[in-house]
Amino acid sequence: MSRNKILFGIGVLAFVSVIVTVRLGGFLVDNEYRQPDRQAAAEEALGEAELTPRQQGIADEQAADEAEARALPYEEAEYRAVPFVGSRVTVWVLAQLHLLFAAFVLAVPLFAFIIEFIGYVKKEERYNKLAYEFTKLLSVSFSMTATFGAFLTFGLIILYPKFTNYLMHIFSPTFLPYVLLFFLEALFLYSYYYGWGKFGPKVHLFLGFMLNIVGTAIMFIANAWLTFMMSPGKREDVDGDGIPDFVSAVSESGALLSLRDAFFNFTWMPINIHRIIANVAFGGSIAAAYAAFRYLRAKTDEEKAHFDWMGYIGNFVAIIAFLPLPFAGYYLASEIYAFSQTLGIQMMGGTFSWLFVIQAAVIGNLFLGANYYLWLGMGRIEGAVHFQKFIKWLLIAIALCFAVWATPRYAIASVSEIAAMGGSSHPELSYLGQMSAKNTAVNILILSTYMSFLLYRRTGRQSTHPHRQLLSRAQVVVFAATAALVIFFGIYGYYVDAATRVRFAIPQVYSVLAAMLVITIIDLPLYRNARQPGETQWGRMPAISQYALIFIALSFTWLMGLMGYVRSGLREEWHVYGVVLDTSPDAYTPTLGFATQVVSVTVLIFFGLLGVVFWLSSLSGKKDHEPKSAAELEGGQAA
Amino acid sequence: MKLTLPMPLKLVGVVLGTTAFYMYLGQIVPQKEKHPPPPVLISAEMTTEDLIQVGLELANGRGICMSCHNDVRAPGFDGIGSRAGARIEGMSDIEYLAQSLYEPDAFLVPGFAQGMQKMNEPPISFSDDEMKAVIAWLQSQGGTATVTLDTDLGY
Repeated sequence: MSRNKILFGIGVLAFVSVIVTVRLGGFLVDNEYRQPDRQAAAEEALGEAELTPRQQGIADEQAADEAEARALPYEEAEYRAVPFVGSRVTVWVLAQLHLLFAAFVLAVPLFAFIIEFIGYVKKEERYNKLAYEFTKLLSVSFSMTATFGAFLTFGLIILYPKFTNYLMHIFSPTFLPYVLLFFLEALFLYSYYYGWGKFGPKVHLFLGFMLNIVGTAIMFIANAWLTFMMSPGKREDVDGDGIPDFVSAVSESGALLSLRDAFFNFTWMPINIHRIIANVAFGGSIAAAYAAFRYLRAKTDEEKAHFDWMGYIGNFVAIIAFLPLPFAGYYLASEIYAFSQTLGIQMMGGTFSWLFVIQAAVIGNLFLGANYYLWLGMGRIEGAVHFQKFIKWLLIAIALCFAVWATPRYAIASVSEIAAMGGSSHPELSYLGQMSAKNTAVNILILSTYMSFLLYRRTGRQSTHPHRQLLSRAQVVVFAATAALVIFFGIYGYYVDAATRVRFAIPQVYSVLAAMLVITIIDLPLYRNARQPGETQWGRMPAISQYALIFIALSFTWLMGLMGYVRSGLREEWHVYGVVLDTSPDAYTPTLGFATQVVSVTVLIFFGLLGVVFWLSSLSGKKDHEPKSAAELEGGQAA
Repeated sequence: MKLTLPMPLKLVGVVLGTTAFYMYLGQIVPQKEKHPPPPVLISAEMTTEDLIQVGLELANGRGICMSCHNDVRAPGFDGIGSRAGARIEGMSDIEYLAQSLYEPDAFLVPGFAQGMQKMNEPPISFSDDEMKAVIAWLQSQGGTATVTLDTDLGY
């Protein structure tokens, strides 16, 4: 029997089963079993009504319930509960899934557009093909984003009706622009995707550009809603004493005073910046994971070469965006501090301080994974041996920084260990748990990863620049001077007061950013017309490198879940910080163990759904279905 | 014999293994569930001794004072009761402490930065009576508490 017939048979069987079950249920309800002797007595007692005592009891109860329901006045529910899971976890998971798909849908057009533009300028078709490959992932992801957006909205309306109503009261003027922009995004996204090759390159690039503009605008509106919950107002020096004062966008009772201040609130722009960069890093890593998935399933060398290159570009995008991400995170954190010391302290020194140790471990893994992939990538380029000797030193630097960053100030220790240490912090290692050490570690980590990338870029290439020795030395001097400066501020930070120590982070950050910029500016002319004796052999990567890409995507996703939790959880028992109190049974901060369980389950659901997206996206590359010929069918029957 | 797993199994292994590892990290750090502080009741007949107890409760709970006042981020509380009256010339200990709570940036102890929030504003929102309770507790740290519910704080 053919497969189609079996499937058809299963379908018919399922349909018949549903009909039979419904009819059987109806029959059982209509034909309640009664004992013969009791039935006769009941019929005699009830006369024409023919109701058993049980039926009469049920009817009376229903009548009483109906009368009670009619007597009740209408009251708006404040909260509704979801059994077993709880309202908060339900909304949490839905919001996170919506956000993950939305981040992906916003990020991919950004780098697809850039890649397409590079292809247009360089007149190289392979870039165009790659941009199209990235864009193929968008269509299904867009539907997923909308689906989870609807889920989240309904979840909020059902489970937090009063609070949702309050947010609507504040932000209702922004809803119509949001919906219109969403409509425009769908228009630009589908015309960008389905119009590939159907329009001229300039028109198509314009569509991609508009898609990015509209997508970013949508995110900015949604960011206003969520940042308002954390910082419902702005800081402005009202009394002219040089110290910014808090200007609330709402009154003490929660009434709207200024939509402008509610929208452009204190943490709105820092979140916008942080999210754009994080979305690109996340989107690049997911696209690289897709390429890895296709690489592992590839049958031909051509396919392998294509998806190896796609994975490399996706990872490149992720790492380039990832390098400035800690700086954007620092900016966001400092703005949270500036808005409210209480929030800032809860974040870094209070309830959530241990969360940042977990964050350090995940980011450390990300750096290790990214560097490992780059080092393996050298294997696909001839002439890599010269640079491979540097890898061990980079690995040592990265491992050391990772260890410093993940060292907590206060150790988890037994009573005897605490007695031996003379306190809950280790006498020497606790120094590494302080801000000075951590800022230094993360800056050196970024510099080292940048150097890994630079080595990869140089592999197999020989500069022909007349001043190549001088320029290379200048790069080394910039790198060494920056590392020395970062370490100097790190050590000096232990000898100054807290306020000065916090300010030291700024020269550390700027010197690293400046160093990366200067080294890149020197590197571009240095290797512009470089000789390349050996070719890059795309598709020559070991399978483990592709699992490294999937590991990086997983780590990014998990990290986004974790940081999403801290951003939202920081408000603790407040729906809107300082204005609307959460009075539901979920108004408490759960343990980090519980939070990481929710994050992990969300990540697993997301990757399960991502598998569906990958599978659907890969269908477009498959051959069309061809019905079997008569000869083939006859051959099959004969067999 | 070399054991090779099929690709889908390896993929599932990477996904589950990585997620499980990160989840495990979340389980080995200190676990603390934080509930909103219970409401503090202040009645008109409370004595200064009663206020000290309430003040301690507020400082540890809703005020989250101890998170910063550890001599690192902000001045510690040890001996504040004896120092407060001498911080600013012409200002009594109660006046100084009240100013520190209502207008924290008005005077900064040398070596420490501004940034403490006004304690009568959200999210902490201490009432005037709660402020008096906190001041009573602060006075009791190395000094003698004198504030009562009838004391005029000037705010």
